[in-house]
Amino acid sequence: MTDNHEQPDRPPILGRWRNIYLVVMGNLAFLIFLFYLITVWFS
Amino acid sequence: MSILDWIVLLGTLIFIVAYGVWKTRGSKNIEGYLLGDKSMKWWTIGLSIMATQASAITFLSTPGQAYHDGMRFVQFYFGLPLAMVVVSATFVPIFHKLKVFTAYEYLETRFDLKTRMFGALLFLIQRGLAAGITIYAPSIVLTSLLGWNLTFTIIFIGVLVIIYTVSGGTKAVSQTQKHQMAVMMGGIIFAGIIVLTYLPDNVDFLDTLRVAGKMGKLNVVTFDFDVNDRYNIWSGLIGGFFLAMAYFGTDQSQVQRYLTGKSVTESRFGLLFNGMVKVPLQFIILFIGVLVFLFYQFNPPPIFFNEPLRKEVYETEYAPSLKELEAAHHDVFMKKRLKIHELVDAFDTGDEQKIAALSAEVNGLEDEMKKLEDEAVTVIQKAKPEAETEDRDYVFLSFVMKHMPVGVVGLLLAVIFSAAMSSTSGELNALGSTTTIDFYKRNFAKEGSEKKYLVASKVFTLIWGLLAIAFAAFASLLENLIQAVNILGSLFYGTILGLFVVAFYIPRVKGTAVFIAALIAEAFVVYCFFFTEIAYLNFNIIGSVLVVVISLFIQLISGNEKKAVSS
Repeated sequence: MTDNHEQPDRPPILGRWRNIYLVVMGNLAFLIFLFYLITVWFS
Repeated sequence: MSILDWIVLLGTLIFIVAYGVWKTRGSKNIEGYLLGDKSMKWWTIGLSIMATQASAITFLSTPGQAYHDGMRFVQFYFGLPLAMVVVSATFVPIFHKLKVFTAYEYLETRFDLKTRMFGALLFLIQRGLAAGITIYAPSIVLTSLLGWNLTFTIIFIGVLVIIYTVSGGTKAVSQTQKHQMAVMMGGIIFAGIIVLTYLPDNVDFLDTLRVAGKMGKLNVVTFDFDVNDRYNIWSGLIGGFFLAMAYFGTDQSQVQRYLTGKSVTESRFGLLFNGMVKVPLQFIILFIGVLVFLFYQFNPPPIFFNEPLRKEVYETEYAPSLKELEAAHHDVFMKKRLKIHELVDAFDTGDEQKIAALSAEVNGLEDEMKKLEDEAVTVIQKAKPEAETEDRDYVFLSFVMKHMPVGVVGLLLAVIFSAAMSSTSGELNALGSTTTIDFYKRNFAKEGSEKKYLVASKVFTLIWGLLAIAFAAFASLLENLIQAVNILGSLFYGTILGLFVVAFYIPRVKGTAVFIAALIAEAFVVYCFFFTEIAYLNFNIIGSVLVVVISLFIQLISGNEKKAVSS
């Protein structure tokens, strides 16, 4: 429990924090892939 | 600068400061002043985190970085989203649970007082110097291009920041940062759109990008592994991760931003928002640098972007040499422009051999122009030995002043001032908090009243603000402004991160072991900086790994000795 009586393991969306962290890492992977395509395409 | 530009610039800055002061007046206790009553929503935290990180240097140097070196600098930020995940999962719940005001309080809870003092001291040295650079860096560029007085500009930025940071504390910092971030994002995107319209109508936009690609400017991701290379995917992911971990997990100027969260969830979402948005934002800023580069493939660029300095050289005996170089530079540009048009035509025909041959020719001419630019720098150095000839930080602002329409110049100057003020306010706020909580309250006034601590916080914030102004006023320009701040951070961040990594993940290591390890690690990092060629991003890894390994070793030795004595 936190000082605000909130369950830190239950985010308001996507059920679990792990899923939200996966979205952030997936977004990074997508951006790197996109940047890689830009690099290859325009080189 | 026109009257309209002045109105836009001063109107924007004064409105943000006045609104921030008015909105956050009347903090009566230390929690309200230093932690904003822990009432912030995730979007305020996220914007505040981004605004603290985005200094004026970001907007001045980054487009110039792309202009000279291409997009690969964006890789520097690849480790950041990963660090946001780790900080959210590990650091945030513990800081919230312990109800700390500063990150360094936790070090005493986990280790001992001397480790807390050491961590706090490293922060104060590093951030205190950085606060000066944060004000100085934009001031020197603005004054040399606009002809303003340097000391006046430094004092103007410093005093504006001091007014709202001292009066309203963390709440005022967060409130103003929200608006400053809106000005920064809006202004830079608007600038990008305008630069786009300046590209030639008779050349397809995709073809201009292909020109940039052939000239090595769209090198967003590079896989070459080289520990001495500052910007490739590996140094970005690994070195950038360690740097971001240290910055967001242990630097009070960032920790204080997410400690204002109403709950663990709000703090986490603020950090993760930054993790989602930071890389695309840096991409956009760098891309504007590439657009400026493209603009100067079709319009003659100056041989040296710092125009006032160039004009000063015209008044010396070196004027003929410089003018000769400028004429040669222009001739090569005209040849290159012709070849670029041929290259664009070749794109349409799809003749790969011709494209390769023309690309080589264009790059050869570009190298010729660079040689002439280097020669011009040598002439300028001879004519003005005291002058700063690092031109990278002048590319974007010089372009803005020369080519942007009236009103937009004022808006973009407001972007640069907003960035300078937002990062400085976050820094002063954190410096004041650490001095109050970790040094004053802990060592000199343990049983003071709320009012006493509140007054002390305001006084310390004011003192740090005045010190930052003084440091900025006496600083001399470093090689490259953005790198200077990052190098300064990397000298101390590794050690501080090591302290926190041991604190969070290695429970068997005690205070004395980690303290000695931190001293040895810091000495080694300083040695590496002065006597080796190791890229500065690696200092974060070296420092933190050394603290972990040495502290484990010392703990093991001392544990064995104790066992031997007891047996």
